[in-house]
Amino acid sequence: MISQFTGLYVREILRTFRNPFVLVITIVQPFMWLAFFGSSFANAPPAFLEAFIGTNSYIAFLLPGTLSTSMLSVGMFGSMSTIQDKRFGFMKRILITPTSKGVIFLSKALGGATRGLVQFPIMIAAALVFGVHFHLSPLEWVAWIAGLFSLSVGFASLFLAVTASSTDWQTPGVVSNFITMPLMFASTALFNGAYFPSWMLAISAVNPITFSALLGRSFVLGTAVPWINLLYLVAFAIALLLVGFAVSSRWLRVD
Amino acid sequence: MTPSAIVVDDVTKRYGSKSGGVLALDHVRLSIPAGTVFGLLGPNGAGKTTLIKVLTGISPMTGGHATVAGFDVTTQSLLVRARIGWVAAEVILDDDFTARENLWLQAKLQSLKEWEPRADLLLKYFELDQRANDKVSGFSTGMRKKLEIALALLHQPEVIFMDEPTIGLDVNTRRMLWDIVTGVHKEFGVTVLLTTHYIEEAEALCDRVGIIDHGRIIAEGTPGELKARVRADIVRLETVEPLDAERIRALPEVQEVRTEGNEWSIRVASASTFLPTLLGSIRTDSIRRITIEGPSLETVFLDLTGRRIGQDEPMRDVRKFYAQMRQVRG
Repeated sequence: MISQFTGLYVREILRTFRNPFVLVITIVQPFMWLAFFGSSFANAPPAFLEAFIGTNSYIAFLLPGTLSTSMLSVGMFGSMSTIQDKRFGFMKRILITPTSKGVIFLSKALGGATRGLVQFPIMIAAALVFGVHFHLSPLEWVAWIAGLFSLSVGFASLFLAVTASSTDWQTPGVVSNFITMPLMFASTALFNGAYFPSWMLAISAVNPITFSALLGRSFVLGTAVPWINLLYLVAFAIALLLVGFAVSSRWLRVD
Repeated sequence: MTPSAIVVDDVTKRYGSKSGGVLALDHVRLSIPAGTVFGLLGPNGAGKTTLIKVLTGISPMTGGHATVAGFDVTTQSLLVRARIGWVAAEVILDDDFTARENLWLQAKLQSLKEWEPRADLLLKYFELDQRANDKVSGFSTGMRKKLEIALALLHQPEVIFMDEPTIGLDVNTRRMLWDIVTGVHKEFGVTVLLTTHYIEEAEALCDRVGIIDHGRIIAEGTPGELKARVRADIVRLETVEPLDAERIRALPEVQEVRTEGNEWSIRVASASTFLPTLLGSIRTDSIRRITIEGPSLETVFLDLTGRRIGQDEPMRDVRKFYAQMRQVRG
């Protein structure tokens, strides 16, 4: 089981880095987010920003939220990679070996999540370029990455579970469109939740993107760290990993 | 007595609902001796690929029981999959990987530890050793097929499934693959279950052949045994004008007459003694073409089903369609 997992996990990672298009997009996308969206409040009075988001740098505020929402796309790419394997027959090649469907799921979910973390150092570098300063301890860096990885594993598992029996290229995109917008905007990833209506606050209160954004923001802005958020994100990852494992073991099919 | 590498006992496979759907395998029974090349011959849609899917554990059977390499396909699927190799109709490799990396991945999937000496041996055997570290996306079709067979052999399987391995290949590559299959069988001593709808492929490669049609095995034996069942020649006749069917049927030696327009298929005991009689009983200027087929797996299939392999394929319908269009246009 470990041998099969290692092979498929490494394959997921290598395939990403051997596709120049994916690599370029992975590097350019975070810069674009910070450059375009992060600059939208560039000329706002510092007092307004302090009152609205609790800091005078919108990019510093936005960075943890952007990293969190980008983990949503990780799920979609993991799901598309699975559908590609089904359509090109590679899934059959895997299944005609002593490899269980659960192991295939784990390699896709964890491989996709690892791939998603590639954006982390690039985003940090981009934020440095835009003037953000970081004063994190090694433990806080590790905790931030662990939180994002958990979020990524959860979303990758969710997408893989939903698309387990699908062979249609369009499915991951449709699922992504359906869940990305509500999860992104009903969270504190992009804005302070203080001005949300009550129904959006209710969604935001359980939205893992909120938990991840607040955790990361506390590290960047140097405020009190909500460690419970990290526990929530780990629990979210484990729960969806178990659900995805069960669903894939039952429903992942190529027939 | 040679032990069986594959035993298929009353296996059925239905796609869709119980009441409707498609019955892809209809109470199939087979016993394939270890160390043989067994060919499953039949037209497209006959159930060949479905049987491979069932035996490799890709698709669950609806009913029946099957063992491969001594293990139950349903309850011991992982043990079966550790003992089989698979060569697909379409070449399936990871194009982002080199030949060696594809072999590495296959070794990981089969939990092999000491895989490299075996991989080197296979790369050399298939003359791929000079390109071992090149990405397979740059390989020719023949090289890709060779690598796929190398992947199937890496873990020293007892049985290899080859699903229409030469479909879509040019004649030269097909001949090369025939040599490879024969060589692999002799060199590595594996049992091969090969599906095909090419008559000549089944005759050239297989020790035994099972003829499958509409999900049922309708005959099984060595190519010689199967051909001996027919004991007849088929005289195919194309005429410029209609003939009197009853008159043809009444000729001595005629066993069966089938006709479609001006095309005739006449089954006779011996074409060499029938032809003088035929030519003496009809106007020779009404004959456009005569061809004689001796006993072959094609005539066996024709004899058993009344159809030729490939007769139901869409291409024939397209030809008919264009012929009708030409007639309509006048």
